[in-house]
Amino acid sequence: MNWRNETVLVTGATGFIGGRVCERLMQAGVPKVRALVHSMHKASRIARVPVELCPGNLMEPETLQQAIGNAKIVIHCGLGDAGSIVRGTRNMLAVALAAGVKRFVHVSTAAVYGITPPPGSENETAVIRATGDPYCDNKAAAERVVLGYGKRGLPVTILRPSIVWGPYSAWSTRLVDDLRGGRVSFVDGGRGACNTTYVDNLIDAMFLSLENDRALNETFFITDGERITWGDFIRAHTAMMNPEPQVSNVSHEEIQATQEKTSGMLLSSVKATARVARSKEFRQILMKIPATEAMLTGAWNRINSLSPENRERLRARFGVQRVAVAAAPGRNGKHIPDPVTVATQSTTVFFSIEKARRVLGYEPRIKFGEGIVLVEQWLRYAAYLD
Amino acid sequence: MKGPARLAILGCGAITRSEHIPSVIAHPGTQLVALVDVDLSRANGLIQKRALTCKAIADYHELLGRVDAVINALPNHLHAVINQDFLLAGVHVLCEKPLAITAADALASTELAEKKGLVLAVGMNRRFAASHPLLKLVMQEGLLGTVRDYDFQYGGAFDWRSASGFYFDRAKAGGGALVDFGVHMLDSVFDWFGPVSAFDYQDDDWGSGIEANAILDVKHDGHFGEVKGRLQLSRTFTLKNRLFIRGTQANAEISVQDPEVVVLHRTIAGKSVSETLRLEDYPPGNSYLRQLDNFVQSVVNRSKPEVDGWQAVRVMELIESCYAQRKRIPEPWAESKVARNEARA
Repeated sequence: MNWRNETVLVTGATGFIGGRVCERLMQAGVPKVRALVHSMHKASRIARVPVELCPGNLMEPETLQQAIGNAKIVIHCGLGDAGSIVRGTRNMLAVALAAGVKRFVHVSTAAVYGITPPPGSENETAVIRATGDPYCDNKAAAERVVLGYGKRGLPVTILRPSIVWGPYSAWSTRLVDDLRGGRVSFVDGGRGACNTTYVDNLIDAMFLSLENDRALNETFFITDGERITWGDFIRAHTAMMNPEPQVSNVSHEEIQATQEKTSGMLLSSVKATARVARSKEFRQILMKIPATEAMLTGAWNRINSLSPENRERLRARFGVQRVAVAAAPGRNGKHIPDPVTVATQSTTVFFSIEKARRVLGYEPRIKFGEGIVLVEQWLRYAAYLD
Repeated sequence: MKGPARLAILGCGAITRSEHIPSVIAHPGTQLVALVDVDLSRANGLIQKRALTCKAIADYHELLGRVDAVINALPNHLHAVINQDFLLAGVHVLCEKPLAITAADALASTELAEKKGLVLAVGMNRRFAASHPLLKLVMQEGLLGTVRDYDFQYGGAFDWRSASGFYFDRAKAGGGALVDFGVHMLDSVFDWFGPVSAFDYQDDDWGSGIEANAILDVKHDGHFGEVKGRLQLSRTFTLKNRLFIRGTQANAEISVQDPEVVVLHRTIAGKSVSETLRLEDYPPGNSYLRQLDNFVQSVVNRSKPEVDGWQAVRVMELIESCYAQRKRIPEPWAESKVARNEARA
């Protein structure tokens, strides 16, 4: 199939990944790109590209029918929240199947194995187990729904990127903000596996899966294929800044000791949760979810069900030390990261892209060093760096 | 005209809800007789919410000849044609910016108003922030010495929840960031520094005609001689959101967050000193109420409003020239080798 001649529907088009997908599709010469847009006011980035902005919501199938038009390819970057990850994906799959879509690329995440994936999850054959984290577990459930539609005849491919970074990514913008605010530490020397996936490399994999029949009903880890640690990632950002921020090391022992001493942590977590739940931004996010569990007790789960990037957004918005889970100052003024950051940066697993290389012919074209140069150029342009 | 001006508001979108209705309610010289919107439920909803006694009307033609004045807050592409319908019917118009999506339409509306002897005021509410006339005074009194250049930045994540969402449609909006809030910035700098004699314009439009970012370098040749300036606009990134003017004796700054004051920066005995200047006895209320008052006074006295059509025409002419001579802002991160390879594939 020559996908370059097809109309493509992109969900999550106002997001970081979806926005770049729209740009790349246009650069690839695709005749028509339809962009599913839930919040029109967030569409400034893609509105400058000649894509068709299609108002719609993954939770409202009739809007998806309108949005799909004559698209024969769907690139599903849309996410939503805990309740909508699975239902929204199912809605999109059903509409795609009915519309005779020729390829459905589902953007999943390596976090189906958890925020700290267990050793042994390096390859796609590893068994997925419930993690207790709503985001991870719902993304895993969504994968099962996608494969179910694959069995029903919808040509599907699942891609599992990890830390998707690049221009416009909150991994870089928040990191720069946090570095400036002295809110970054190297967890255990920064040795944790970062599993970077430069956004253009991910999109390469999407495009490869569109033109390769061997990709059908298959699942692939997609990373930059380099053993980049969190220390590497953080240091690459401090090097962009002037003056260069100093980042201290915190050991797991220090983290544990501080957390045990923080007896008021539960109280402050509840306070932070309540504060977030009362906020306008959180209410807007809540509005995307069926109002079945709108009480405060549900807020904790909702926050934890957000993607890591959205958690970052909320945290930055409210100035709490991680939403709902407070970080604490440690001894000697060291910043002790919150449990989610600790978990994220304690990964020991480097995901293998051997299958993507073998089956898709995937080869990461943007190396980490090149990506950092591009990110730095963008951060300066976007006024995150002086 | 005896008694308060009978006024209708066209369009019940975000700006009407947040600014025009509160201003009209607060102004003793106006009587709101109708809200107009093709979506009658929107007009009725506003009437109910604000406990108004005016009518909700779907077709503005019903109003022709029955009102003294209108505020046109419809999507951009409906400004010129509907303004002209009202002007032809002898109705004064306060039109939200931009006056039209082309300079030719702005000119036609302006000439029509002049021919009919009617007021056509343009919604440039920032002119009514106290800092606007205050900065003029500061420069006229020589507090900055010779004015050299300025840097004017306005940008943040776009969050304007328009009822119609017209702003991402080139045919309806007339452009992106430049035509949206660039008109405010250009109107201000024209008024402060005089006509633009040279410019260089870049934006990030990839072919839709709706730029999210724009950079405009200008040279003014006005009452303060040659002044160079850079205007930077963004719908995607948070910029410095301030005007900074450099002079030989002192610098001046106006922050978007506090448009009622001018901050003067200078050096005294080697020490950097900042002082906040404020206009005493400036009319109370916000800029929209002051703008409405200026419009009403212009209608009552048949005088020139603070911002008339001619001023909007010169802004639209420059914007059209910018779009005609635009260059792409370099985005090396978007034109990486990956994308280049693709284009060849």
